[in-house]
Amino acid sequence: MTSLSISHAHVATDILPARQAPPIKRMPLLKMLFGDILSAALTTGALMTILALMPAVQWGLVDATWTTADPAACRDGGACWAFVGAKLRFILFGLYPPEAQWRPMIMMGLMVGMVLVSLSPALWGRKLVIAWQVAVAMMLTLMWGGVAGLSFVPTSQWGGLPVTLLLALLSLGCGFPFAVFLALGRRSSLPIPSVLSVGLIETVRGLPLVGLLFVASILLPLLLPPTWTIDKLGRTFAALTVFAAAYLAEVIRGGLQAIPAGQIEAAKALGIPHWKAIQHIVMPQAIQKVIPPLTNTAIVMVKNTSLVMIVGVFDMLSAGRSAAMDPTWPAPYREAYLFVGLIYFALCVAISYYARWLELRVKAKDYR
Amino acid sequence: MMSAEQPSNREQSAIAIRNLDKWYGTYHALRNVTLSVKPGERIVICGPSGSGKSTLIRCVNHLEEHQQGEIVVNGVTLNDSLKNIDAIRRDVGMVFQHFNLFPHLTVLENCALPQILSRGTPRKLAEERGMQLLERVRIPEQARKFPGQLSGGQQQRVAIARALCMAPKIMLFDEPTSALDPEMVKEVLETMVALAEDGMTMIVVTHEMGFARRVADRVVFMDRGAIVESSPPDAFFDAPTHERTRSFLSQIVH
Repeated sequence: MTSLSISHAHVATDILPARQAPPIKRMPLLKMLFGDILSAALTTGALMTILALMPAVQWGLVDATWTTADPAACRDGGACWAFVGAKLRFILFGLYPPEAQWRPMIMMGLMVGMVLVSLSPALWGRKLVIAWQVAVAMMLTLMWGGVAGLSFVPTSQWGGLPVTLLLALLSLGCGFPFAVFLALGRRSSLPIPSVLSVGLIETVRGLPLVGLLFVASILLPLLLPPTWTIDKLGRTFAALTVFAAAYLAEVIRGGLQAIPAGQIEAAKALGIPHWKAIQHIVMPQAIQKVIPPLTNTAIVMVKNTSLVMIVGVFDMLSAGRSAAMDPTWPAPYREAYLFVGLIYFALCVAISYYARWLELRVKAKDYR
Repeated sequence: MMSAEQPSNREQSAIAIRNLDKWYGTYHALRNVTLSVKPGERIVICGPSGSGKSTLIRCVNHLEEHQQGEIVVNGVTLNDSLKNIDAIRRDVGMVFQHFNLFPHLTVLENCALPQILSRGTPRKLAEERGMQLLERVRIPEQARKFPGQLSGGQQQRVAIARALCMAPKIMLFDEPTSALDPEMVKEVLETMVALAEDGMTMIVVTHEMGFARRVADRVVFMDRGAIVESSPPDAFFDAPTHERTRSFLSQIVH
C-alpha cells in the first residue's frame, strides 16, 4: 500500500535569483589521449603515422633544393622545389604566349574580385547576375583577344590555372540555373517536363564524366554538320555543364522535398503567382537547406575539371605534368603533382570554409 | 441533415456554398454542404477531427478542389477559371494552424513581400503597410526578427498581420490556436476578437468555445463531412438540438 503523501516536493516560497553555472570540468590531457583503449589506440596510431611520414618530411623540407638555376643541382635525393619556381609560369599559364600572360593574370584577378564581391548573400540579386555576365564577357575577351589591340590567342593555346578556374566556375555557374529547372521539372506533375528532366538527369548520371567528355569532344563533331564546329574547349565546357547540372539538380530536388506544403499553400492563399512563389518563397529555402551537398558537388566539380586532360584540354594538371617532362630537369613529377595538388587543395578548402560560414548565417536565423 | 441557410439572398452573401461535395479518392470528405455567410458575419465551425471543417474552409480559397456543388465568394463563382480563383484569393485571407510564415524572411518582409509579388505594390508602400498591420497586432518591435525567433503566439499574430496586409474582405481561420501553448492562446484570440469588432467577415474553425460564445454570430457543428447543426451561440451551447452535438459538447465543455 502506498500512502498518499503529496507534499514531498520542495516548494519554493519565493523564486531565488539566477545563479552562475558551475565551472565546466576539463579533461586532463593524458586522460584525453590515453584514457581508454580506443583513445590509446588512436593516439598510438597517429604517432606511428607521423613517424612513418618523417622520410617524406626529410625529402620535402630538409633535403630539398629550394632555389637554383642549375637543374643539375637537384640530383641529390631531396625535393626539387627550384623546378616549380623555374616552371611556375608554364604550370600556371600553359602554352599561353608569355608576352601576353598578364591577360590571364588580370582575368584571374577579376574572377577573384567578383567571387569576393559575391560572397555576401546580401548582394545576391539581379544586379549581381548582370555584373557577372559583364565580368565573364570581359574575362573571355581578355583571354581571346583579337580586339582593342590585344593579340588573338586561340583556345588551343589557353592552359593552366585560368582554364581550370574558368571551366570550374562557368560549368557550375551555367549548370546551376539549368539544374533549378531540371529539379522543378522532375517534381512537376506535367508529363513532358517531368519525362525530359528524369531522362536527362538519369542519362547523365548513368555515364562516367570521362565518357561524356569523349562524346563531347570526339563524337559530337562527327555527328554535327561540319559547319557547326564548336571549339574543343567549348565542347568540354558544355559536357562539364551538363554533368554539373544533373548532379546539382538532384541536390536541389532534395531541398525542394524538405519544404513543407504549408509554404506554397500560404503563398497561394496570399494570391502570389505560382512562379513568383517558387522563386521567392520555395527556392531560397530549398537551397539554404542543401548547402552542404551543394558544397560537395562544387568541390567535386572543381576537381573534375582535371579530367579534361584526357581529351587534350590543357588544364593546370596537364600543364604540371608537361612541365615535369622537360628532360633538363631530373623528372620532378612528384614536385609538379604536389604543387598542383596544393592549389586544388587551397581552392577546395576555400569553398568548404565559405560554405560553413554560409551555413552559420542560416542558423543565425534560428530555423526550425 | 439540415441545411444551414436558404440560399435565396445570394447577392447579399459574402460566401455562398451550395450542395458542396468533395472526395479524397473514394473517401467522401464533404457531403452536400450548404452554408451562406453574410458580410460582417462571424461563423465558428466546430466538430470532431476528420469532420471536414478544415476541408470546407480550404475549399473556399481553392486550396482544395471540390467536385460537386457551388461556391460563390462576393459574387465570383469558384470554378476552374484562374482569373476567378485569383479574384477570390484577393478577397479572402487565411490563417493556418501552423502559421506557415516564410522562415527565410524577416517578420516585416513576410508582410511586405506578398503585397509586392501579388499586387506589384512598391516596396516602400508595402513595408509601410506591413508596419501598420504589425502595430495593429501589437508586435511592431519584432519587425526585424525572423519568425523562428518569435514565440508561437507572436508568430500567429504576424500571420494575421500578413493576411490583413492584402486588405481581405473575408478572413478564414483554420484552427489558429491549436498549435499554441496555453498561455499564448489568449493573445491570438484577443487579436481575433479585435478584428471581429472591426466588422471583418470571418469563418473560424476552432475548439475555443469561449471565443465562439463571445464573438460568433452563428456556430456550425460538422460531423462526418456534413453540417449537423447551425445556430446562434446561446442556442447552440444551451439547447443543442442534435444528439451528436450534445455528445461533442459534453466532451469538450467541462
